[in-house]
Amino acid sequence: MKKIIISFFIAALLLCGCVQKEILDDVNLETGVGYDLVKEKIRGTALVPVYQPDKSVDNKTFTASSKLSRDFLNDVQRQSPDPIVTGSLEVVLFGKELSERGILDLIDSFQRDPSVGAGLYLAVVDGESKKIIQGNYGNRGTAIFISNLIRHNMLTKDVPKTNLQLFLSDFYQIGKTSYLPQLKKKGKNQIMISGISLFKYGKVVDTIPGNKMFFFKLLVDNYSEGTTEVKIGKEIAAIQSVQSKNDFKLSRSPRNEVDITLKINAILNEFSGNKVTKKEVGEIEKKFKKDVERECMQMTERFQKQKIDPIGLGHFVKSKTRNFDIKKWWREDYPKLKVNIKADVTITESGVIE
Amino acid sequence: MLNWFTKKNTHSDVKGNLDSYLKRSKDYKQVYYENQKTNQRFCFSFLSSLIDESILEDHALPFLLDKPFEKLEDIKKIVSVADVQISNDPSLIEQKLFNGYVLMTMESDKKNFAFIAAQKEIVRSVTQPEVEFSVIGPKEAFVESLMQNVNLIRKRLPIKELIIEEFTVGSLSKTKVVTLHIDGIADPVNVETIKERIKGVQFDAITDSSYIVQMISDNKNTPFPQLLDTERPDRVTAILAEGKIAVLVDGSPHALIAPTTLVEFFSSFEDYFLNWILSSFFRLIRLFAVAFSILITPVYVATLSYHYELIPKDLMSTLITSRREIPLPPILEALFLELTIELLREAGARLPTKVGQTIGIVGGIVIGTASVEAGLTSNVLLIIVALAALASFTTPVYKMGNAIRLLRFPFLLFAELWGLIGIVFCFCILMTHLIRLTSLNRPFLEPLYPPRLADFKDALVRFPFSQQSQRPQILRSPNPVRFTPPEKKKKTDIDE
Amino acid sequence: MDMEQQHTVADKLKVSPFLVFFLIHSMQVGIGVLGFQRIIALTAGYDAWISVIFAGLSIHLILWMMYKIAETVNGDMVSIHTYIYGNKVGKLLSLPFVLYFCLIAVTIMNGFIEVIQVWMFQDLSTFWFSVAFLGLAIYIIYGGFRTVTGIAFFGVILPLYLIFTFFFTFPYADFSNLLPIFDHPIKDLLKASKNMSLTYLGWETLLFYYPFIKDPAKSKKWAHGGVMFTTILYTLLTVTTFAYFSEGQLQKNVWATLTMWKIVQMPFVERFEYIGIANWNIVILPNVCIAIWCASRVLKRTINIKQKKGVILVSLVCLVGANLFKSRNQLNALFTLSGLIGFYLNYVYIPLLFVAVMIIKKVKNQ
Repeated sequence: MKKIIISFFIAALLLCGCVQKEILDDVNLETGVGYDLVKEKIRGTALVPVYQPDKSVDNKTFTASSKLSRDFLNDVQRQSPDPIVTGSLEVVLFGKELSERGILDLIDSFQRDPSVGAGLYLAVVDGESKKIIQGNYGNRGTAIFISNLIRHNMLTKDVPKTNLQLFLSDFYQIGKTSYLPQLKKKGKNQIMISGISLFKYGKVVDTIPGNKMFFFKLLVDNYSEGTTEVKIGKEIAAIQSVQSKNDFKLSRSPRNEVDITLKINAILNEFSGNKVTKKEVGEIEKKFKKDVERECMQMTERFQKQKIDPIGLGHFVKSKTRNFDIKKWWREDYPKLKVNIKADVTITESGVIE
Repeated sequence: MLNWFTKKNTHSDVKGNLDSYLKRSKDYKQVYYENQKTNQRFCFSFLSSLIDESILEDHALPFLLDKPFEKLEDIKKIVSVADVQISNDPSLIEQKLFNGYVLMTMESDKKNFAFIAAQKEIVRSVTQPEVEFSVIGPKEAFVESLMQNVNLIRKRLPIKELIIEEFTVGSLSKTKVVTLHIDGIADPVNVETIKERIKGVQFDAITDSSYIVQMISDNKNTPFPQLLDTERPDRVTAILAEGKIAVLVDGSPHALIAPTTLVEFFSSFEDYFLNWILSSFFRLIRLFAVAFSILITPVYVATLSYHYELIPKDLMSTLITSRREIPLPPILEALFLELTIELLREAGARLPTKVGQTIGIVGGIVIGTASVEAGLTSNVLLIIVALAALASFTTPVYKMGNAIRLLRFPFLLFAELWGLIGIVFCFCILMTHLIRLTSLNRPFLEPLYPPRLADFKDALVRFPFSQQSQRPQILRSPNPVRFTPPEKKKKTDIDE
Repeated sequence: MDMEQQHTVADKLKVSPFLVFFLIHSMQVGIGVLGFQRIIALTAGYDAWISVIFAGLSIHLILWMMYKIAETVNGDMVSIHTYIYGNKVGKLLSLPFVLYFCLIAVTIMNGFIEVIQVWMFQDLSTFWFSVAFLGLAIYIIYGGFRTVTGIAFFGVILPLYLIFTFFFTFPYADFSNLLPIFDHPIKDLLKASKNMSLTYLGWETLLFYYPFIKDPAKSKKWAHGGVMFTTILYTLLTVTTFAYFSEGQLQKNVWATLTMWKIVQMPFVERFEYIGIANWNIVILPNVCIAIWCASRVLKRTINIKQKKGVILVSLVCLVGANLFKSRNQLNALFTLSGLIGFYLNYVYIPLLFVAVMIIKKVKNQ
């Protein structure tokens, strides 16, 4: 009797206990999405890869407009043969116009969705995001292409680390504002990272151009590997494997001065001049130091004027101050804060050959 | 001529009954002789299929015919067979006759009779172990003869403390079962338990030790064997020395070992022939293989049915393209392939070796390729299932391997039910089941639970022999010290 | 005399003293650890990790009292009650514990079901999952206290590897979030400690399985060790969480621990939180089992129901309870209620018992 009851329960469990399945080949995986502002409505473009038998990937996009980002997904579902699922979202792009209006609601929906990962890449597009999403770049799929593009530039080049988690963390951080990389369509099937968009309360207020990204990254992040160029007169020196560390110090009293020390180690890779001697290296070092200090100084002043703080100076001062008053900080203290930048550059000579 | 004996015996009903039955069998013989010196008439009755007549002719008859004797007692002195028993209990006759004794009766002595041992030993010669083959180490395996098997162990343990006790079980088969233990090393409680259990066995025909395992194990409702069986006399010797108990069954080439633990089923005896680093490595590989073989197909079903988020994006296109054309959901696809593999295994095991091999190869290649091409299964799953099958063969003990074969099916069902949560849930059930299992009332999962650090020396990994100075704690040996380790030498510095 | 016989536990049913470590620790870590950070940060901000340590340390005092009580009476909660109030009243007063443990089992199980429903399967049937879960619990408890302890042991050992997954958050961590230290008034810290103590609850079960410990005097250090381990684990987790989230962001996340797993990426696993949640099944299981075991044990000791029947009875009550409280609001009310009862039980009732037992002991000695 006992056995019959137990087997009845197991059978009932197997029959009634099942949950909704999302079988891998019976769903459409949304790997990328782009949002634009079109006629006061948000137009979303979802990117779904279609895997071909020869392992290449076709990109299919679905477009719909609505007031809310969630509604957009419902509209898209109506166009798709299989349910569209968000679990493997890789990149989210925001059109320029939309990001100037504010993208916080959209990002909040990603934060809310438990199936979206925290390693998601966000980026602002100089122009319309739909155009980038619809392009074809290589045969591994557009989303993977864009996410790899952003990742490798974060790891080894001038783009500071960002993803959904870091963006949200910065956004909610007291005394810090967030930033995202900016993409731009270059040719028919080419895109590039064109700069860094700086946010204030979820709206883009400023953009750092591509050639200044190196200095921006020095300030907000640590380099583990990177390259840059230094001009001395007519000659150009290529500097490789830049490793950097930024260090902040708050003045004793009055506490209105922050010293930023940028410690940079690098290897001289290439020099267009004739010979690399100790003297030349010294000169390059000096010039490099001056460049860094000047550019970074300009940048912090620009931030202060616009009342944005991607470096997180406010957060830094808060961590050193008891009973920190954030409202007063933005209103009075931050614009008046004195920032001193000191670059500590060490250039090791030229690689493997003398 | 047994008649004159029978008629005058007081227990004539017993005897008559036996006699009338025996006369219906062709191999029952009665022969009458007369002593040359004293003209004493005597009679041999025996079952010719069970006795070795040359023993009778060489060692008994010549003396009995030539030398004078008066009473049955006297023949003990003149016959050159060691095992001669005199009795007046007719109820013994049946048992003795069927154990290969020759019944000798004298005309002059109606009450008593003698049993002369003349068993015929039809023995397969000792061969190489087939199930537990090892490249290194002894190449002897048990055979079907109990005495031969005892001999194989006795000669490895020439000590008086090795106690061999005999029981007869099976109402029809009268199978001889012996327990072996080393007195003073094996826990007397364990010895008592196993003796009680063997005595309690109720069955008509016991033909192999596997019967005994199923009848004396603690829990009958489990796929796991709770007594280790081995065909290696060297392994039996080793475990006797640890303080465990061995059971040998007449007619079975497998010895049983109790108490045992789960991890013991994953240690091959060859582990002890290899250096401890190598054997530890192989043990870990084997444990990994078991986990892999049970879990990999359920994990495939769970991730593909429910958790596509987990799949790395580089793997995505491989998985999707291989599954795109498959009409079956992952669970049916997996069940289809798993059952195919089980069929191949079963067919291979039932057929003669040569044919079986062919079936295995043909089945593996043809069915596998064809089902992928026909779009019934994905090639990724085919690889996974084949690997899982391969991994399940690494379990050294055959019976455990069978249990593991079975385990993945409930896991598959639960994976289908609740994805990864289902798998973990099923794992919890399995874990509970294993915690609740006992072998001779000793926890089956030891040393994992109850955790005993000391017993880890020879569990998941094997430490060097020099560190195994204690017998396993689980065995509660009255003499837990194996050997006293030599005092540690002072550590010397480099170049000293 | 009859009572005494029932009271003593056969030696072979007892568990080794060091297993108390796992019993206590596994009962403490449950569903609360998935999201306690937000609640304590609400009152004490990012100084709340001090409250975590403080609350953890306070347990040692109560634990010391509990051992004193149990040693004096040499028995479980029912014996303590009969020691203080006499046989009848003592047993009557022990009965509410049955409901308390049912409440705990339901809270934990429903908390886990909610996590699954939010994170994995929106349409997971509460009824069928709780049937399966309680069925497994019954199977475990039928194996006796040793099996329950075994589940507690594996419930600690097997998920231990999850600690390493938190290293994946370090590249995204900013430990300066924690600065400046002591930026909040002591009052807030104490308030957070009280909230934190709810996450620590569960060690009171010691008073119920005390007779099942072999050589209880030796188990003391293990019990304290178990609590200490929980404290260390929670403190590290709190610090990691605070470094990973900015304060405003943390307030947005109900299950901060699970959200942290979202960043974990391995070559073969793209997202870890699903594995984490599935593994949490093993963590939750001993909680429910110990609670149901305690409830059925109290039933057996007070109104003499066979524990086999008691377990089924308690499980049925839990099953009904689990299916009554389903919505988020009901669940929150459930959490608050069980937390409140647990808090007063541990921090008010047990000290009172301690005082009572000490006084009665003095009186009896004179």
